[in-house]
Amino acid sequence: MKSYALFLGCTIPARQLNYEISARKALKALGIDLVDLDGMSCCAPPPIESVAVDASLAVSAYNICLAEEAGLDLLTICSGCFQSLARTNELLKRNSQLRKRVNQILSKIGKEFKGSIEVKHYLKVLHDEVGVEEVRRNVTKQLKNIKAAPFYGCHLLRPSELLKFDDPEKPRILDDLIEALGAKSIDYLDKLKCCGGLLRGYDDDLALELARDKVMKASKAGADCIVTVCPFCFINLDLGQIQIARKYNENYSLPIVHYSELLCLAMGVEAKELSPRSHRVKIDKLLEKIV
Amino acid sequence: MKVGVFISDCGGLVSKVLDIEDIEKYLRGIDGVKLVEVRDSFSSGEGLERIVRAFKERRIDRAVVTECSPKIAEIRILNRLKEEGVNPYLVEIVDLLGSCILPHRSWPDKAVEKAKVTLLAAVERAKLLEPIESRRFPIEKSALIIGGGLAGINAAIELIDTGFEVTLVEREPFIGGLAARMVRFFPTDDCALCVQAPIYELKGVTKTSRKGLYRSGVSELPGLNIYTNSRVVSVEGEPGNFIVTIEKKPRYVEETKCIGCGECTKVCPVEVPDLFNAKLKSRKAIYINAPNLYPPVYAIDETICKFKECAKCVEVCPTKAIDLDQKAETIKLRVGAIIVATGFEEFNPEVIKEYHYGEYPDVITQSELARMLDPFGPTGGIPIRPSTGEKAKKIVMIQCVGSRDRRYNRYCSGICCMIALKHADMIKKLDPESEVQICYIDIRTTGRMHEDYYERAREQGVIFVKGRPTEIVLNPDSGKPVVIVEDGLTGEILNLEADLVVLSTAFVPSSGSKELAEILGIEVAEDGFFKEYNSKLRPTETKIRGIYICGGATYPKHAPTTALHASSAALKAGKFLRSGEITKDLKVAVVNEELCGDCEFCPVVCPYGAITTVEKEGHVVARVSELRCEGCGICVGTCPKNAIELKHYTDDQILAQIRALATKLDPKEPVVLAICCAECGHCAIESSGIFLIEYPPNVRVMKVPCAGVLKVHHFLEAFNAGVDAIMVVGCKPEGCHYEYGSIKAAQKVAFTKTLLKALGIEPERIEMFQMVHIEGDRFAEAAKLMVERASSLGSIKEMIKI
Amino acid sequence: MIRVSADFAKEVKKRLGGETITNCYQCGTCTSSCPVARVTNRFNPRKLIVQSLRGKRDDVLTGEMIWLCCSCFNCQERCPQRVEIADLIYALRNIAISEGNVPNIYSEFVSALYSEGKLVKVAGFTEKQRENFGLPPLKKPDVEAIRAILAETSFGEVLKVLEGKE
Repeated sequence: MKSYALFLGCTIPARQLNYEISARKALKALGIDLVDLDGMSCCAPPPIESVAVDASLAVSAYNICLAEEAGLDLLTICSGCFQSLARTNELLKRNSQLRKRVNQILSKIGKEFKGSIEVKHYLKVLHDEVGVEEVRRNVTKQLKNIKAAPFYGCHLLRPSELLKFDDPEKPRILDDLIEALGAKSIDYLDKLKCCGGLLRGYDDDLALELARDKVMKASKAGADCIVTVCPFCFINLDLGQIQIARKYNENYSLPIVHYSELLCLAMGVEAKELSPRSHRVKIDKLLEKIV
Repeated sequence: MKVGVFISDCGGLVSKVLDIEDIEKYLRGIDGVKLVEVRDSFSSGEGLERIVRAFKERRIDRAVVTECSPKIAEIRILNRLKEEGVNPYLVEIVDLLGSCILPHRSWPDKAVEKAKVTLLAAVERAKLLEPIESRRFPIEKSALIIGGGLAGINAAIELIDTGFEVTLVEREPFIGGLAARMVRFFPTDDCALCVQAPIYELKGVTKTSRKGLYRSGVSELPGLNIYTNSRVVSVEGEPGNFIVTIEKKPRYVEETKCIGCGECTKVCPVEVPDLFNAKLKSRKAIYINAPNLYPPVYAIDETICKFKECAKCVEVCPTKAIDLDQKAETIKLRVGAIIVATGFEEFNPEVIKEYHYGEYPDVITQSELARMLDPFGPTGGIPIRPSTGEKAKKIVMIQCVGSRDRRYNRYCSGICCMIALKHADMIKKLDPESEVQICYIDIRTTGRMHEDYYERAREQGVIFVKGRPTEIVLNPDSGKPVVIVEDGLTGEILNLEADLVVLSTAFVPSSGSKELAEILGIEVAEDGFFKEYNSKLRPTETKIRGIYICGGATYPKHAPTTALHASSAALKAGKFLRSGEITKDLKVAVVNEELCGDCEFCPVVCPYGAITTVEKEGHVVARVSELRCEGCGICVGTCPKNAIELKHYTDDQILAQIRALATKLDPKEPVVLAICCAECGHCAIESSGIFLIEYPPNVRVMKVPCAGVLKVHHFLEAFNAGVDAIMVVGCKPEGCHYEYGSIKAAQKVAFTKTLLKALGIEPERIEMFQMVHIEGDRFAEAAKLMVERASSLGSIKEMIKI
Repeated sequence: MIRVSADFAKEVKKRLGGETITNCYQCGTCTSSCPVARVTNRFNPRKLIVQSLRGKRDDVLTGEMIWLCCSCFNCQERCPQRVEIADLIYALRNIAISEGNVPNIYSEFVSALYSEGKLVKVAGFTEKQRENFGLPPLKKPDVEAIRAILAETSFGEVLKVLEGKE
């Protein structure tokens, strides 16, 4: 059993317990041990970078230090946390000037970034370490009737030069993992385009316009659900559909599920254990297709 | 040794400042000086004859001459001595005016001391000078041209016309290169196949014969051997006598028998997409690219042919030209000069995944469009949609694909705007109703008559969108590609649906350039193109004598410039080969094989590949090629065993100068030794003299060919001899005349600093300066700085008690 | 009189993330890659950069454009001159905020991070739910450590600016 320090971030424990539940269950079942370290804070993503870039580097570096001290690689569920932490990790490993500057700040609380660990997203761990075959072996339900529209989001893939998660133009990891469950991963227009999630709070209308574009195109391609990996994407596409219905008078009723939820369902976990109330768009039709 | 010292008074300027009698007295007091003369000038007239007579009458066997225009004086004196059978390398020229008088006008007394010491150093060096042999190396009056495209063919014709034998090697089965595929050339809109044949006079054939290479008879030129299907695999030997090994792949068709009837292709069962024709049609295993290429003989693609299993072509060939047993040939040649004309190719845009080249069939490159627009091509001159075969009416072109791009090729490929405009013009002329849209970042039409194409395009209604598209998507309903681009001038984001999207890709060096450079011992630059010796004034030469480069192999260029470039390379090669021999004064590096052994540093460090290693008595020793050696001495500076020496700048000679220059006539004055390379370093000093810029006379100057010859032990010996500070002056690193001698010198100075620190001596006592010719003021500043340092740090003798 | 000046670009270049702004040759790849620019002309990254390069400091820092980027990084990924567009927008936001141009939502983020060490407060109800779903109790961030770090960065200045506004 490989152990990872789990990084939960802010949004998931506050607003998306369903993601945490399904992720923990799935990873445990597949042999990944998750350790909850003390003291972890916000990862300092774009909202904080927008305020002070140096602060965001220092705060995310601080979280990496905690993992370094525990001698564990970091595993994130939220892709926003992944980008923030992995980017900082890579930047500080490469740029000694920057590292010096950040370590100067961290030294005030007795911490030092050493560059000794890796930051990983659970999808990569599932795909590369657990392996697609192993995932497939653990599937006990039939998902072959499900047409899933994979949505990578932005922060797993870009900037690819630093994150090196997958091919930024033709990624395969999520598609492979969906197919490992027996479901069909479908193609749809503008598959990799941003859902606008991070605009929520500043300009909700704009965020909604982008969300609608995604939901509409996935729907048009015949999707039974959109598979997400990011809590912001989830909120914008899930709660967003309720708001889209009100604003545009369009009802898509397209279930939004996190990959870990689909994985758990495929492995035989009961839906009620996964906090289905977290989903604003009902997922009953999807559950019916899981045999 | 009997040394004669000849002092030119330079119109009285020297005697105005220096007490000549005092100098003469000083000189006569130096051991070995047998003769001292003073007159107005010694570089011409009676003065020069006096030197000659002194030598011939054996009153002296070495000379020191001071002159005010030392470079010119040197040439005149040396040539005159040569005429009289006296070895010219027994004379040391000193610029008394420029180095001891003009820069030190504010310190007239100290200038005298410097003049004396400078002359002393010259005398000590002169005593150790030895005659340098002048040797004749015979040269083969023939050339090898690698690459049979526009440049290679032009260069070949120029050399044949000048009277040399030429072997042209081409790796494809047909010559013509990229040019043969490009349908027409700007700015004259001539057909590519015609343009291949240079305007060449073949006796007996009309002078205006330009049509198609084979009809011009160029293949029949006496003295021109064309090997197609061939590659250069190794080059050994020396400039003027290169031993080249060529591997000729079998064509399986005898060139003398094939009549090009094409019966063989009718029965050949193997078909593959035709790369020459942008895969728009297929070809057989036995094929010819186009009817009027040279040689007009079919070739068999051995990667797909079934050979004896099939052999249908053999049966039907009316002249029995097909020989499936043909073997590869190895050809060994001896040539005097080599010209690299390997050209360039299109960058493969597959890596720019967002453009989906290779995935969407209707996204093609400009060379593929050229095949469509060629009336002899696979689509009869009509642009079509490869996915459906129907005529393409709406065409969108994208410029700068892979060019001006920090992720792929940073440079601008220079010719793609014109290629796009040329093709847009052809498309519009063919069908004025067709729509052509060009997405660009900048339109570059810099050549003669180029702007006309841009004007015409706008008149014809070509739309220019100032924006670089982010991606190409597929319209799911029509199946057509859609280009997504922001029109920078209006701010709108456009979705341009097209029948055909044409990518104007970057041009990159032909594959195999790097390997060829290694075989030849020349360099490729960072962008992969062959490196010119000097890109400003000598753009067709390389750092190796006898090897030249031209055409697209050095950088993408269009036809007129390629022709110019090829002529230039041919001229340079012709000059080299002209007399059938090279005469070289052997101021070269020489290995002491007793001391040399097994380290192999010098072959690696020689910028000219002049050093090889040979086995001798069970161990490996270095050997220097006298012809390749350029006399820089970087090998000397690198050798850990002092086993290699540079003639005319031996260790003894250098140390004698250093020790002489360290002489302190006034013990209170610090001495700074300036060792300068003869290129930029010494020129900077000369220009401070010329521009009358002053610096303190505590700085004593000596010259070496390249700062790379200097060793740490030279510096330590200098300190030992009493020099208080050392300044090493070399060329700027990017402009070092011997590739990287200046950089090596800087490294040694840095190391010396570390060593000094460890010895408890101030590392500031030695410094490296890198400057160029016109920076006389910088030299003066550096000199002042070092004198101040030497003053404040105090005498070296106090520091070291060695 | 309309003036242009290279000063603002120099200022941006000195900032973390803004170093590559002068690489830009205005090809517009960023704008056509941008999901926001595709649906509204209130946002155009190429325009934002050229305004900065021309020295239109006020327009850039007090306008709404810099806040409309959704941080998808598509522009940065596709830029042929490796301009770090998304990063330089963060740098521009930093400058704007330090000068008092702070959209409300960012004030909220600042307070949340400073007081909780997290961007979003976890409701008591949600925390209790964890047990029902078999989740381990939620570990708390070390707020003191976070505050100490923040004080060493320009975040400290931002807090002062925000206090001043109140």
